[in-house]
This record gives sequence, C-alpha cells and structure tokens, in this order.
Amino acid sequence: MTDLKDIVKQIDQLDPIPAITTQLMALAADPDSALSEIADLILNDPALTANLLKTCNSAYFGLNRKVDSLRDAIGFVGLDHIVQLVMLNSVARNLRNQSQGYGLGEGELWRHAVSSAHIAKILAGKFGITQHRHLIFTAALLKDIGKLILGRFVAFSLEEINILVHSKGYSFNDAEKKIIGMNHEELGAMVAQNWRFGDKLVYIIRHHHLSNESAREDPATSVVYLADIICMMMGICTGADGLSYRFYSDVLKRMDLTETDLQAVIAETGENQQKIDQLLNLI
Amino acid sequence: MGPIRSHSTAIALMTAVNRSEMKISNNPAETLVAFSIGSGIGVAAHDPVGGIGGILNFMLPDSSRANGVNPARTPFMFADTGLPAFLEALYAHEARPDRLKIVIAGGAHILDQTNAFDIGQKNFEVLKAGLDTFNLKIFHENIGGINSRTLSLEIDSGCSSIKIFGEGEVKV
Repeated sequence: MTDLKDIVKQIDQLDPIPAITTQLMALAADPDSALSEIADLILNDPALTANLLKTCNSAYFGLNRKVDSLRDAIGFVGLDHIVQLVMLNSVARNLRNQSQGYGLGEGELWRHAVSSAHIAKILAGKFGITQHRHLIFTAALLKDIGKLILGRFVAFSLEEINILVHSKGYSFNDAEKKIIGMNHEELGAMVAQNWRFGDKLVYIIRHHHLSNESAREDPATSVVYLADIICMMMGICTGADGLSYRFYSDVLKRMDLTETDLQAVIAETGENQQKIDQLLNLI
Repeated sequence: MGPIRSHSTAIALMTAVNRSEMKISNNPAETLVAFSIGSGIGVAAHDPVGGIGGILNFMLPDSSRANGVNPARTPFMFADTGLPAFLEALYAHEARPDRLKIVIAGGAHILDQTNAFDIGQKNFEVLKAGLDTFNLKIFHENIGGINSRTLSLEIDSGCSSIKIFGEGEVKV
C-alpha cells in the first residue's frame, strides 16, 4: 500500500484557488447579502471582472446590447450566472490539467466537471432546491478534483483495481480505497478543506458516490451523485473507471425521480451539449 | 520529377460521430468514430458493394419520454426515431438492406443498475426490435457491462473496431 502521506503532500502541487471564491460562496448563500456587496467583492479582482464581462458579451448569452459594467452584467444575466461563472473561472486552471491514470484525454476532466455541474443545476431546479444551488453547482464541478492527484497512484495500481472491480464486484472508489488506501472522494474532500471551502461542500465531495448510508438521505449530496451518474451514462469523458460506481435506486425513489424523469434529464443535457461546449471554450 | 501518384498517399480522414448524431460516408479514405459511448448505443452499418457506411450514435430508447426535447429536432438522440431515419439515409444512397453488415456497441450500465433504471438494456431492446422490423440481422454485438466503448467504421474495408477501456480492442 502507498504511504498516504506521499499522496496528501501532493495537494500543495495544485494551483491555489483565488480567495474570492470562498468569500463569494458565503455571500451568495446568505439571503441577507446585498447585491452591491457581491459586486464590490468581484470588482476587487480586475482580471476576473474583465473576464466576466467578456463572457457576458459572448454569443453564449446572446444579449442584444453590450454589457460594460459588472452591475449591468448582474442585471442582464442574473446573479446566479455570475456566481457560477466565477466558480468556473476559479477552478478551470486546475481542472484543465490532464489527470493521469484514469485514462482521460486532455481537457476531459474539465469537460466532465462542467457537464456534471450543468446537470446538477438542472436537477436542483427540478427538485426546487434553491437554498444550496451554488453549493451544488460548485460541488458537482469539484467532485473529482481528487483524481488530479490520485491518478498517478491509480496508474501504478490499475491492474489490481480492475481485478477487484471486474472479478469481485467492487466499485472503482472502493477498489481505490482497498488497493491504494485512499479514494478520490477522500482526497478531493481534503483538497476542498485545504482551499477553505465550507463543511457542506467538503461533505458533498467526500460522499458524492454515496457509499455512506446517511449521505443518501442528504438532498444536496444526492443531486451531485445523480449528476455524476447521468454523466457516466451519457459517456461524457468516462475513463478507466467507466461506469463502475454503485447505483442506488432508493435514492432516486426518495427524490421522486422516475425512470422517465431520468431519461428526460439525459435528453435535456444532450440537447444542451453545444451550449456546454461553448462554455468550456469561453472560460 | 513529379509527385508519386498512389492510393497509399491518400490522407486518412477521421470523422467523429457525436452523441445524438449520425454520419454517412462513401469516401474510402474516411473512418467514422463514435467516442466514449456509455448507456447509449453506436450502430455501425456498412454495404461493401455500395461502398457506403455510417454510424448512428443514439442515447435513449424512446422519444416519447423526452419531456421538453423535440425529437423532430434531434431524431438521432433516440432509438425509435434515429434508426428509421439512419436507414432511410443509407438507402437513399447505394446501400441495400440485404448487404448491410451491422455492428453495435454500448448499452453499458452503472453497477447494480437494474430493471426499470437500466437504460442501456432498454436501448438494446428497442434497437433490436427496430432492426427486426426492418429485417436486419446484427453481425456483431458488444453490449452491456460497466465500461464505456469507442466504435469506429472504416468505409473502405467495412471493418469495425470496438475499443473497451482496459479490455483492449475487438475488430470485426
């Protein structure tokens, strides 16, 4: 088994996340925050502001006038979009890196992350989960961040992991834990903690495959799980781990999501694929 | 001395067939590829006499269940609307049903994803029934399991390849 300290040490190799990210998450989650507070926070970062304006003026939003101030941008595309664009900007640099070991090509971790976040947003809307919507979006975006580090170790152990998955019925994350001593959920949660994200976000990343029974009762974690499952079924950037994670039909029942609903979300995501691709190229 | 003229210098073309798309080609230098197929299914069909082939890459079995998505706009997303339109497009060229070599790959599932929620299996059932209706036989199938697949078709040779991550490649 690998020395876990060697793995954890690698967290420092990731690009640090801008401080504004966690501050913005806290402000956006607080119903008492004023719009001006949020705008002021973003304006503190001129490069980010410029980037947001560029995105808001792109064909992606299709506005029929030019947006030249952040206040206008918030007014036209909405605060939710602005917060989500900041999150995408903050994590893009790391997630664009190629993760070895999972057999993902260049940019595939990023594509999977953005697609998952998009699906999670659709699901959160369907279930009327408005309170945690930014948290759910960001958690879906960051859920596999642990793969960036663990990939190198997975590459060494892939054969052993595959034996457990294909001959013993292990899920890929349980096999990672058994062979390497740690899985990408645990490592991802450590990264989120290191970046000073809140406890809830750390929890969702830690349990996004729902191995833990109590996590299956948490709506926010369940939404991120479902988004991941749907992404896998659609084959969006699935690598060495493929679809080898557990399916919990009781979670879908609890969320009142029928098989028809599942197909409808897949169809809706498929139809939005071009939009998602545009977004990938914009950030 | 002028350039050497030979078929071997033809530039090989690789064309991606994205999800919810189909592509047809009669260019012998072209290879069609559907990357990373999950629960959806890739259908490769090739007529060696007509020198034509195509891949349909659909995701879902039933267009009537796609609440809010218009199948008239994305017919190739679904087995029930995609297969007839795909065959019609093939037959509009030189392809003939009795000469079609059909290879299908995909229909994977998540671990423990059973019965009602197994969309991969449903995709296979609807596709199989559709092919039966058109009196078409499957030459080779690589269906189910927990891995995603990449399906390709060489228009010149009619050779299909199915790559499964970690399990290598099958050529038929």
